[in-house]
Amino acid sequence: MIGVARFLQQRQDFENATARSYQSEIEARNRLARGEHPAAARTAIVSQQRRRQALRDEISSQTRDTALLVGAGLIAGLTGAALLFTGLISSMRRPLEDLVEASGRLAGGDLDARVSVGGLSETATLGAAFNEMAGELQRRAGERDQLDRMKDEFVLTASHELRSPLTSVQGFAELLLLEREKLDPKQAETVEVILDNTRHLVRLLNDLLDLARSDAGRLTIKPVPTDAAALVEDAVRTMRAQFDARGQSLALEIEPGLPRIAADRDRLRQVLVNLLTNANEYCPEGAGVGVKVTGDGADVEIDVSDDGPGIPEEQLAHIFERFSRGDAGETQRVGGTGLGLAISKSLVELHGGTIGAESTPGEGSTFRVRLPAIASPDRAEVT
Amino acid sequence: MARILLADDSETILLLLRTRLEMEGHEVETAADGQQVVDAVRAAAPPHDIFLLDAMMPRKSGIDALRELRAEGVETPVLIVSAHTDGGNGDEHADLEIAGYVSKPIDFPRLFARIAELT
Repeated sequence: MIGVARFLQQRQDFENATARSYQSEIEARNRLARGEHPAAARTAIVSQQRRRQALRDEISSQTRDTALLVGAGLIAGLTGAALLFTGLISSMRRPLEDLVEASGRLAGGDLDARVSVGGLSETATLGAAFNEMAGELQRRAGERDQLDRMKDEFVLTASHELRSPLTSVQGFAELLLLEREKLDPKQAETVEVILDNTRHLVRLLNDLLDLARSDAGRLTIKPVPTDAAALVEDAVRTMRAQFDARGQSLALEIEPGLPRIAADRDRLRQVLVNLLTNANEYCPEGAGVGVKVTGDGADVEIDVSDDGPGIPEEQLAHIFERFSRGDAGETQRVGGTGLGLAISKSLVELHGGTIGAESTPGEGSTFRVRLPAIASPDRAEVT
Repeated sequence: MARILLADDSETILLLLRTRLEMEGHEVETAADGQQVVDAVRAAAPPHDIFLLDAMMPRKSGIDALRELRAEGVETPVLIVSAHTDGGNGDEHADLEIAGYVSKPIDFPRLFARIAELT
């Protein structure tokens, strides 16, 4: 800019000097025309012409310099703009790369993912918006976790608080039935209905409690070395009366020399009783149910098979989910809670085992529990 | 037949348990909280054969009462009645020498069998 201003001043000086030179030449020519000192007048005319030539040479040189200067300035400006642009891109690229990386972490579940806010105001705004969004997600996840905990606490507390009054109802109904001879048949039947329903409520409560525990990560087992055969025999013995009551057969087949398993006896018994109860309730009167216990060295397998109506394929896929039950008509007849198999699955998995079901509609179903055997050195010698 | 000290903060549960235990021929004294348990044990002559204590009672719980009594050298066997289905943790109060846990609703034949074993 200074170069240009100086050039404009030089141009002004040049024009003024040229104008004065013309003025001097005109005065010399007038003197020559009047015949006053013609030699001196001629010399003055030539001198003024030379002076203007010198002025023109000077101004054109100055013009050229200035043009060069302006051109260089332009180039410098363009270069600067280009550099600025490159800088702009790189100053945008870093924050954008950070954003991409942080978005990936956030999507991957790392709710602590944040970006450092800086750089251009636009990327800083974007970064701040991202952080705000991540913070909001984290806050909501925290709220959801808290709600989950509250729900678990609620179910645990509610089932605990319901247990005392149910204890009274069940206990006094049992007390009345102990003196059945003092009741007329209608009264005795009424008390039995109260008792049946109370037991169903207790079963539902226990199942809900187990599920709440499972959700809260508080469903635990205390495994001890256990003879699977004895455990299965015990469960079958417990259930025998219910099968007899419906005219169903209950066969038990146990392979000799089975390895021991690490089991929480009460909990594994609960699983077996659940499977047997389902067979008992879902199979028609007179059906045949078989329990088979086998071992293949690494695992002990307990199969509960029936020749009942079977389970349609679309139901079979969801059978270990909560409140997944047979069709509505069956559900009315059968007194289950729809939670038994979901709990059984949790319990078997806590034992490090697996549970599965196979069924052919019209031919029957098989529920298969596999539990890892305890590696036993003396057994290794035998085999 | 055993002399039983029975504690629960619910009058209904006390009535139920007392009725069933007396029908079995046991002699039953009742307490409504932990302090009454401690007082009843100190005053008892002859001493009780077994304590049947609710784990959770207002003011002083069955567990707190038992801790106090064990510190006084009382060695009477004890069954803890609990609303928890898992019947307590077992190792939780190892120092209190708890003979067993009874979960609600109460399986009476099983309870009677346990009392017979312990007295």
